[in-house]
Amino acid sequence: MGDTLTAISPRDTRAQRQVDALLEQEGIRRDGNLDYTCGLFDQDWNLAATGSCFGNTIRCLAVSGSRQGEGLLNQVVTHLMEVQAERGNTHLFLYTKPKSAKFFGDLGFYEIARVEGSLVFMENRRRGFSDYCAALEKTRREGTSAAVVMNANPFTLGHLHLVERAAAENDNLHLFVLSEEAGPIPFPVRKRLVEAGTAHLPNVVCHSSGPYIISSATFPSYFLKDEDTVIRTHAALDLEVFGKIAPSLNITRRYVGEEKASHVTALYNESMAARLPELGIGCRIVPRLEVNSRPVSASTVRQLIHGGQLEGIRPLVPETTWSYFASPEAGPVIEAIQRENNVIHY
Amino acid sequence: MEILKPAIAGTLESSDAQVTVEPGEGGIELSLTSSVMNQYGRQIKATVLETLERLDVSSARVTVVDKGALDCTLKARVECAVFRSCGASAANIPWGGAVR
Repeated sequence: MGDTLTAISPRDTRAQRQVDALLEQEGIRRDGNLDYTCGLFDQDWNLAATGSCFGNTIRCLAVSGSRQGEGLLNQVVTHLMEVQAERGNTHLFLYTKPKSAKFFGDLGFYEIARVEGSLVFMENRRRGFSDYCAALEKTRREGTSAAVVMNANPFTLGHLHLVERAAAENDNLHLFVLSEEAGPIPFPVRKRLVEAGTAHLPNVVCHSSGPYIISSATFPSYFLKDEDTVIRTHAALDLEVFGKIAPSLNITRRYVGEEKASHVTALYNESMAARLPELGIGCRIVPRLEVNSRPVSASTVRQLIHGGQLEGIRPLVPETTWSYFASPEAGPVIEAIQRENNVIHY
Repeated sequence: MEILKPAIAGTLESSDAQVTVEPGEGGIELSLTSSVMNQYGRQIKATVLETLERLDVSSARVTVVDKGALDCTLKARVECAVFRSCGASAANIPWGGAVR
């Protein structure tokens, strides 16, 4: 008895060190993305349990070995759910090891998808994912359907090249824009530029990815052993989720842009080429569009904006994207890109 | 009462229940998880629905994660979540009226 459950400030270095030690003791690392951390301390102010939040997820949960079996994690999760409720988030997500999935099931979390042996992705709505799929199903159309998933950060001629190719080879193209905020260009802008840039293609349907397709920027890495495992597991989970979405829209092919420069994307594409056919979905890797014999990429565009060379992006983006960035409305977004320290990786 | 915003009451600790209410789309949509589902699932569901009816809530999405709460606990958690969701928890609690 005499336990105290309290928020831990990022500036409270002593408590933060205790959190690191406890996580390490339980075999996990601190996740790079955390925006709230709490701790359950005993009467001598030793840390007995901890948990954190990021966005609408719950992360980095651990209980000290000597205090397991007392239901401490229930207290921590309750506290984190109250914190999330105050932020207005009632639809929550978490990632856990398969052996802990049952425990979270008892706390009202339901499985969305799993990567055998390494990770389970859960949400606290029984019908959250099935409702999302049911909503997608309303846009289902006759004929062959393909899919492209993109961040479009921002929408470039490279994206357009990929989309035009996929739209030409199939009756319908379902285009998923990553709706999670993971960079300086907000989702509504990214989606609007995609819609404007593909308006001339009548067989393209734009969707928000919703909370189910996760950006690599916020994918939790804390219980996976190294960087490559993180990338592979992220890809594997993404593909499991995609495999469950595909039947609602009768998607039989997925198109991706070829990537030589980025290790992350290369690994991702490799996983996709291996896994998609097993799910009954074809995988087409389309070579990058080149302008002046250099591949067009969104990170190049962001770099140019970051460096103040706004004119430089003009040959790389469709007219619709250019007219947005040339308009006064883009001012705050351009400022946000210029404030970023690292504009390349998102 | 009308559910105006999402609200949460209760905990996930043993002998308690965590109740979340959110605005609904007409009708009561109840999602229940319980550690004693096989023994008391029907009783829990009936208590929750009865409490909502007594509070005159006709449209809501309600999530209950039960950890073996007694009926009185369950009622109190549902009432609290509903009052929080319509801003009635600071004042105007109908003691002796809908809350008996």
